[in-house]
Amino acid sequence: MAGAIPFTCFMQPIPPMLEMRGICKTFGTVRANRNIDLTVERGRIVGLLGENGSGKSTLMKVLFGMVRPDAGTVSFNGHALQSHSPGDAIRAGICMIHQHFMLVEAMTVLENVMLGWSRAGTILKSIEIAKLIRTASKEYGLELSPKTRVSELGFGKRQRIEIVKAILRGAQLLILDEPTSNLSPVEVSSLFQVMRAFAAQGRSVVFISHKMGEVLDLCDEVVVLRAGEVTHRGPVQNATRADLARLMVGREISLSHVSETKVRGSELMTIEGLTLIESRPPIDGLSLSLRSGEIFALAGVDGNGQLELIETIAGLRRASKGKIILNGREITPLRPEARVAAGVAYIPVDRANTSLVPDMTVQDNLAFRDFNRPPLRKGIWLDKNAFLTRARTRIQQYQIACPGPQVAAQTLSGGNQQKIVLAREVGRKPTILLAFQPTWGLDPGATRFVLDEILALRDAGAAILYVSSELEEVVMLGDRLGVMFNGRLIGVSNRNELSMAEIGLLMSGDERTLS
Amino acid sequence: MKTVAGKSVPETRAGDSLWRVVNKGSSFNRLALSVLAVLAAFAFTAVPISLSGKNPAVAYWALLRGAFGSVDAITFALNKSTPYILAGVGVAMCFRARIINIGGEGQIAVGGIVSSWIILTFPDLMSSVLIPLALVGAALAGAVWAGLPAMMRLRRGVHEVLSTLMLNFVGTLLVGEVLNGTMGEPGAGFPQSPLFPESGRLPILLPQTDLHSGILLALIAVVSCHFVLWYTPFGFRLRVLGSSSSAAIYAGISLSSTFLSVMLLSGALAGVAGGIEVMGIHYRLIEGFSSGFGFNAVAVALLGALNPLAILPSGLFFGFLEAGSLAMQREVGVPSSLVYVIEGVTMICVLCAMGFIGPRSRS
Ligand SMILES: Nc1ncnc2c1ncn2[C@@H]1O[C@H](COP(=O)(O)OP(=O)(O)OP(=O)(O)O)[C@@H](O)[C@H]1O
Ligand SMILES: [Mg+2]
Repeated sequence: MAGAIPFTCFMQPIPPMLEMRGICKTFGTVRANRNIDLTVERGRIVGLLGENGSGKSTLMKVLFGMVRPDAGTVSFNGHALQSHSPGDAIRAGICMIHQHFMLVEAMTVLENVMLGWSRAGTILKSIEIAKLIRTASKEYGLELSPKTRVSELGFGKRQRIEIVKAILRGAQLLILDEPTSNLSPVEVSSLFQVMRAFAAQGRSVVFISHKMGEVLDLCDEVVVLRAGEVTHRGPVQNATRADLARLMVGREISLSHVSETKVRGSELMTIEGLTLIESRPPIDGLSLSLRSGEIFALAGVDGNGQLELIETIAGLRRASKGKIILNGREITPLRPEARVAAGVAYIPVDRANTSLVPDMTVQDNLAFRDFNRPPLRKGIWLDKNAFLTRARTRIQQYQIACPGPQVAAQTLSGGNQQKIVLAREVGRKPTILLAFQPTWGLDPGATRFVLDEILALRDAGAAILYVSSELEEVVMLGDRLGVMFNGRLIGVSNRNELSMAEIGLLMSGDERTLS
Repeated sequence: MKTVAGKSVPETRAGDSLWRVVNKGSSFNRLALSVLAVLAAFAFTAVPISLSGKNPAVAYWALLRGAFGSVDAITFALNKSTPYILAGVGVAMCFRARIINIGGEGQIAVGGIVSSWIILTFPDLMSSVLIPLALVGAALAGAVWAGLPAMMRLRRGVHEVLSTLMLNFVGTLLVGEVLNGTMGEPGAGFPQSPLFPESGRLPILLPQTDLHSGILLALIAVVSCHFVLWYTPFGFRLRVLGSSSSAAIYAGISLSSTFLSVMLLSGALAGVAGGIEVMGIHYRLIEGFSSGFGFNAVAVALLGALNPLAILPSGLFFGFLEAGSLAMQREVGVPSSLVYVIEGVTMICVLCAMGFIGPRSRS
């Protein structure tokens, strides 16, 4: 309509909430962001998709003022943000929840919320802020008690702290970098409710995720990055998972075809009467056996004893009672190093601190569970050539995107960091693989690749204990499965014996289906 | 205009490009920054020198001559650097593993006591036996002095900062104690031991100078620690432990044995530093012979970015600065406390410059 044009000229056009224009960022030779434009309107939830290393986190760090762009402009609510710090971003109304949380573990929820917040006062107004936390958690259905120490909380709760922090600080725009990677289904849906409520108030969300289903469910529109460039933007309506996956990778990705195990051999590992008094919840007399050539999938809501169980098998925790027998040999007294040598591999869930040493090189990270044995150790020396050769092979095999084996692991994208861990643990060809959410943060292509590797390991006769809070994965992968609830192992059954709904009930502790 | 991703974009602001240059942290930039920092420190210290009524230019000229002006000056400074390098490299190894050993002062002191005791007890041994024996004794003494806090930490959870600090007082006061008792020189009127026999003195490297062979030991220590840190499983353990203790547990590293070993190592190095000081400089045990060495060693380690090879220039820097400052004090009459001011201010400037460059790394 031609007549409408002069009319709009009279109106002050409302600028979109966020406008990023021509953002470029190069790290050494890696062009992480190439001339990216991103617009976010008020009240919208925008999904940011892309393969591992495509530049999503970098773009968001530019927005949040953690990374300085080589070129480009950011304007927020009509004001330009230039050479800003995260503090400036927060004051402008932008909050970011990182791939790896940034909370002080030794402090309480309340203290973490007050940290760096001017409103908490020079002399801290603890009581007032605690009240605010309680109100906000009630309003948004985020149950949190201000006095708990962060170190006692699981991933889901930790994330709530970050969200409450953002809400209390009056965030207009919330950036969530892979927020659901470690959440149980219930936690995910409660997070989504909060996000929708947030958007309904005219605030906006940028949501980064590798899970197509979630993006379809939550987002209004998507922006897809590939190798640092925007390759697609558009509404989510009518798109399918396959569409999104194709847009990300540029080719069709078939879902992993998981065949049932062909070789279910003898018992490789037996756990008898394992007891952990000090863990929370305590584990009392747990028994489990893993057979050669099978995947035992362990479902359960985070914090029901899965972590304690798997750490005990890996040797990072001491059992108060009970035996772990591997191939007829008791390994209960063995230290973690000796268990690795005996063929036990372990992929921990905590990437920020445990499974990876961020400030050491990729090469050292690929070696740091085997450095004390040949071929990496030669006499009293470390064989640096062996380090390098191994790193080169693994980087190639697992397609770890990095400038070389000598860069610090923390410069890699989240998904590529996870690939280092996988390459180290799976690449060793273990007889037992303990995997705690190993596909965390991987794009669909990489997920596919990792699952295929794990299946190949299984078919070669290894036993795999696969812990995940994602029902779909558990049901798809497990040749046998079980549920951890409150420190107990329940509902151990074969593939297809239990329906998803039944497993869901077991995860919430409802055991009626079993009788 | 420059081209990024095939399109031209406006040049970023000058401040940004400086930021990038600094962030690159190439070794050239590091060097340039360190030099700048040292110059800045001298500029700052010019103020108190002027306030004390002296001409800073004259003072600094004296400092320069005092450090490099003659063979004697240089050898004096090298001797000064030796204990700093030895103890500093030990401190660096501990700090790498995030173990805060600030007990160098005490460890040096007991190293001095034990080596003196060995030399004075067995004066008739050949020097080829006596000197190694005294050095081993010093190393053991230092190791024990560092092992005590390590055991307290492992057994009782007493933090090493507290225990190493406290043992400094015990160690240094012990020197006075033995000198006033059994090891003192009768009738000297000053707390010192009798002079060591020839066989208990470190050989001189350069004839006609005071340069003793301790600097060689310091060199060996630096190079060995370099290889230990970067090329052995033990060094690997230290580095993992320093980065994350939960990753260290995951890697199968025993926290307690690593903790104990690196404390013993650094204690031994500090002990040797003490032994060298009495056997190479004073030829006797003197009260306060090592005053401030342990704390300077911490500064040296930090200045060397906890990197063994970099401890060498860093220790030399402190040694030469101190030698020069002493000369400045002698010749120009600048108050002696200003020597410490210069050291402190330089340290702060250099550390600030290093903070610019970012986290410590190998290069
Ligand atoms: N500080 C850094 N130094 C060097 N390179 C970096 C740095 N940060 C990111 N990169 C590189 O930039 C690229 C983009 O990384 P980014 O973290 O933005 O990816 P991403 O899209 O978030 O991937 P993921 O899905 O794996 O988290 C990667 O190749 C990464 O190696
Ligand atoms: Mg990322």
